[in-house]
Parts: sequence; structure tokens; C-alpha cells
Amino acid sequence: LVTIGNAHDDLIHDAVLDYYGKRLATCSSDKTIKIFEVDGETHKLVETLKGHDGPVWQVSWAHPKFGVILASCSYDGKVLIWKEENGVWSNIAEHGVHQASVNSISWAPSEYGAVLLCTSSDGKASVVEFLEDGSQKTMVFQAHAIGANAGSWAPPHKDNVKERRFVTGGCDNLVKIWKLDPQANNYIEEAVLSGHTDWVRDVAWSSSLLSKSYIATASQDRTVFIWTNESIGNHSGWKKQLLTADKFPDVCWRASWSPSGNVLAISSGDNRVTLWKESLTGKWESAGEVDQ
Amino acid sequence: MVKLKEVAETATFAWSHDSMPLMATGTLAGAMDDTFSNDSSLQFWDVLNKQQSLAKFSLESKFTSLAWSPSSEKYEKGLLAGSFENGSIQLWNPKLLLENSDLNAGSVAEYKKHTGSALQVKFNPLQSHILGSSGTKGEIYIWDSNKGSSFTPGQAMSPMDKVSSFSWNNSQSHIFASAGNTTYTSIWELKAKREVLQLSYSGANLSVVEWHPTESTKLVTASDTDGNPVILTWDLRKHTTPESILQGHRKGVLSLDWCKQDPSLLLSSGKDDSTILWNPLTGQKLCEYPSLPNWVHETKFAPKLPDVFASASFDKKILVQSLQDTSPPVSAKVNSANEDDFWNQLSSTDTQQPVFEVKQAPVWLQRPVSGTFGFGGKIVVVKKEQNKSVVEISSYKGSSTVKEAAEKLES
Repeated sequence: LVTIGNAHDDLIHDAVLDYYGKRLATCSSDKTIKIFEVDGETHKLVETLKGHDGPVWQVSWAHPKFGVILASCSYDGKVLIWKEENGVWSNIAEHGVHQASVNSISWAPSEYGAVLLCTSSDGKASVVEFLEDGSQKTMVFQAHAIGANAGSWAPPHKDNVKERRFVTGGCDNLVKIWKLDPQANNYIEEAVLSGHTDWVRDVAWSSSLLSKSYIATASQDRTVFIWTNESIGNHSGWKKQLLTADKFPDVCWRASWSPSGNVLAISSGDNRVTLWKESLTGKWESAGEVDQ
Repeated sequence: MVKLKEVAETATFAWSHDSMPLMATGTLAGAMDDTFSNDSSLQFWDVLNKQQSLAKFSLESKFTSLAWSPSSEKYEKGLLAGSFENGSIQLWNPKLLLENSDLNAGSVAEYKKHTGSALQVKFNPLQSHILGSSGTKGEIYIWDSNKGSSFTPGQAMSPMDKVSSFSWNNSQSHIFASAGNTTYTSIWELKAKREVLQLSYSGANLSVVEWHPTESTKLVTASDTDGNPVILTWDLRKHTTPESILQGHRKGVLSLDWCKQDPSLLLSSGKDDSTILWNPLTGQKLCEYPSLPNWVHETKFAPKLPDVFASASFDKKILVQSLQDTSPPVSAKVNSANEDDFWNQLSSTDTQQPVFEVKQAPVWLQRPVSGTFGFGGKIVVVKKEQNKSVVEISSYKGSSTVKEAAEKLES
């Protein structure tokens, strides 16, 4: 549909559409973020955001109820928050608690407020809440022995907004489930999921409306696991299943669920993005490939 | 750098090939500590998780080097090889050492051929049952740990003395390089069984040698000469002059390690007590890490976790640290209003910080491909095509989603 070549001077590591599919944000090793307006089959570069002092790994749009807000994370150890107002972009906040590359950012379900989960090569995860008065509330904790590569929020609990969870993956080959302890006002480790034999590159918790929880984890070991849980909160409740018995030809870098939660996209180092669906018998089947 | 661990030993060390690596340390020969002890020990550490050593074994002779092979069918945790001051080469099964705490039970072989001290032992990166060892009097042996046999690599061009550096080519299993306290580095070919090339550079010893991680004709050498502590990169196809000269050490260089995952990262350490990270492809110095209290005789990346490396100093210290540290400078960390608090904080803070000149991210963090869903049946894909990235927004066939979800709920 839309192809954008030569957008940046160096490799692009992430590209995401906003909630309306009208704006695309891209980020690159050239240290910049670009915003494109997308309309049908046309696209127009509207802004280049400069502020990071290293490659920018990931960008993430906040829920539109907070305004036009984009978060970005970089090898420089920082997370920057950008806002557009009347066509003018500006950097409105900086989150600088990490001691090494910040590898992923993920906005929490909007019910929790403007809350961002960050994971870093310093092994820590942080959850920062941006309050309306401009101040920030931050929690930082050790997540993986070395190198937290990715984080993803669970969909909000339908009755209890305080029952919050997310998943992280790291260079210790582990996947961990974290749960908010409202008394201690911190996140505690609820479950450790092991099975990968090399770095966990990405984790994605499906926002599916189904009663079961689904997490996809993509790894350097060229496999993807689907973790399911029918009664969340039960430590032993997580069951793992290989997405496919054959290993991928290269590193699995990214896992992304469709908004409705029934299609999974896996991006692998052989430059392919494959789509997967669960059959009615509970097996995962190929649903084709993007660009075919 | 983020300091991860300090091991209070004057020792040589080797990393295991695990993604959460263990470290083996062996008491270093030729370095007297303040107790003038002659004790020698082999120890194992889980440097990322535990304070104490996992296991400790006493030995008769002190170590000159340690090497750890990747896991194989026969040896789940690989093989550990040590070279010793008394000339022997010892092989252990680290799995058995860790399970039984008995040195004899874990011993696989002992090779006694060197007539003087053995100085270096290295596993062949392509055939891990093959080892090379070097020592004094120009002695070099190639060992086959499956057969227990050995041979010499053949005729040297000129008589050698101490061969303290040994490096296997990473893509041609029959090629290696050797160096020592001489003005040249030798390239050997095991099929022809002879020394095939010598590299030399005026005014400096070429005492440390290390091959490029993937390109078979490229290597790097370093000089332990205090007056000219240069690191030189070479392409053997034009072996009369170095490709580039990396200057930055203030005294002789003692160790090099070229990152296996990212050829644009090289570590060096030396007699100026420093450890430096370079981009050997561009010749840029990327970072100088805080100096240690004495000569840094060895520095090595963890092979499967290259975000982490260790530097060993003659002053009872092996420092395990991360490549990157983005934390603010000390002056910003110590910001107490109260004078006493200021001095207390300052004395308890690590005042040394690495100096970064270039923000170069390692290749293992550079995601080349990404596919993410948007609303409305769209997917955004980033792909790498001829070292450029292309972004594509396309539609996917997933519009039957609601129907299927409903079916699943009902079933």
C-alpha cells in the first residue's frame, strides 16, 4: 500500500501507526524520529524530532485521550516524551533513571493514566507515571540479571483497575510476569517462565477479549513460545507451546498481536514477517506472510 | 561502565559459553601478592548472581592462562584448559568439577611436553577438540583432545623465544598466529606445516595478536613496548604495512579481545592500568574505562553475553563490568547541601567514570526487522534491504476476526 524508502540516514528499528492510522512514527540509528502523515496511498513527512544522543530503538503512541503524545527510547539511556499541539512538536518530558540503553517502551492501558513501562540493558525495568501537573512518579526494579530487552502490559482487569500486570523478557533467557502490589506501591515478580535457550528479544501480551491470557515471546534461539493461562494469578497456571516445531531460519526479533488478538506477527532476522493464527483445535497455524 | 562484580584474585580467567556465563579463575604465575603465597587455585564464579565462588580447587603450579570451549555432545559445559608455569597443560570437564568438587574426578587429560613454562592455551574456534599451546623457547604444540596426540606446527622462519600470545584464525581452522617478546608476529599454516608469513613494524614489539572475528585475512596486533604502545590492524593481502594504527594507550599493551558478535568492537588493556574500547574498523577510540590499580594483563568479552566483559589486574582484582554506562557524572550524583554529607557521599561514590567519545551501539541491539499491527487491519513492516531500511504499510487478511472470536467464546 504505502512504501517509504530513504526515510532515515541509517537503519530504522521501529515504525508504528497511531490509533487512527493517520500518523506514522519511525525511529533510527541516525538518532532521529520522523513523523509522517499517511492518507490512503500517500504519505508526507511532517516532522523530524531530534533530542536523543544515540540510536533510537522504539517509539510508542500514547492513547489519544492524553493528546498527541509519543514516547521514544534510545541507546543513550533516556526516554523522551514528545507532544504535538497546533502542529508544533516539542519535547515535554525526560525519563532518565536507566544506566544503559533503554530497549523498549510500552504505554499501559489508558485506564491506568499516562503510565509507561521501560526496559533497559542495565537489567532493570521502570514504570513511570506522568501526572497532569507535569511531575513524574517512578518505580525502578531489577527485572533480569543482565539486559531487559522487552516489556508488554496485560489488558486491564475488567473489575479491578488496581490488578495490573506486565511481562518482561531478558538476556537471562527468562520471561517474567510482574504484578502491582498496591500496598507496597511496587511491582513484584509473580511468575518466572523458562523455556528459551537464548536471549528473549520480545514479549507481547495479547489484548484479546477472550477469557484466556496469551503471551507471545520471541527469542534469539529462533523460537517463539505462546504462553497461555486460564486462571491468572496462579503461578503454575502458565502453559507453554511452541508456535511452530521447526525453528525459524534466523533470530526472532519481534512479536506483535493484532488489536483483536487473533493474529500474531513474528519478525525474524531473515527479513520476513510471518502471520500466525490459532486453529479451533488450539494449534498455531501459518496465516501467510506480509508482502505476498 | 556499570560495575557488576569484583573478584579479589590475581588470576587469569576464562568465560564459559553460556548466555548467563560462569567464570573460571586460576592463580596467575609471576605475580607475587602481599602474602608471598605460593598457593595456586582454580575457582568458579557465577559473577552475575552470587558473591562467593561456586567451587575452589588447590593445585601445585600456578596458571599462565585459561581457556573454555563451547559445549559439545561429549562435554555439556565444554572443556576447560589451563596452561601452567611448570609446563603442563591440564584439561578438565567443568561440569564434573562443579558437581563433585573433586579435581581428579573432573580431570580429562594432562599434557606434559613443554620443556619450560607453558604460556598460553587456546581452543580452536571451529574444531573445539583441537587446542594450541605456546611457551618459552619458541615451543608451540597442537593437541587433539579426542586422541590425546600432539604435533608441532613445523619450521619457524627465525628462532623464537617466549611465545606468549597465540590466536586461532576464526574462519580457517588450520591457520593461527603467534607472538611474543619480539618485533614480529608469525602466521602459521598447519597443512603446509610451516610459518608462512611474518608481520613487523619498526620501533615496536608485536607481542599480542588477535584475529578478526569473521574475515580470515585480517588481524590486529599490539605492542608491549612502553615507548610505542600501538595497536595495529592488518590485512595479510597487504602485509608489509598496517592498515591503521590505534593510539591511546600510554604504556605497553598486554591483551586484546575482538568481539565475536560485532567486528566494530575491540577491547585492549595494558601496563598503563587502563582498558580501552575501540572501533578497529574506523580506528576510533570509543571509550576508556576507569583504570585499575595495576597492570591490566587480560581483558575479555563474555562470549555469549558481550554486553559484559572482565579485566584482570595484577593487584588482586578482576573487574566485571558492562560495556555501557549512561549515568550522569559524579558531580551530579553527589549533590548534598550539607558539607559533611557531601564528603561522605563523595568518598562512597565511584569517582571514576568511563569517557565515551562516540555513541556507537553494538550490533546485537540493532533490530533489523519489525512488524507491528495498527488498527483497521493494517500492519507496518520495517525491513533491511542493502543496508537501508524500507517501511511498508499494508493490509492483512484478518477481517474475519470478530466472527472467529465469537465462535471461540461459544465453543
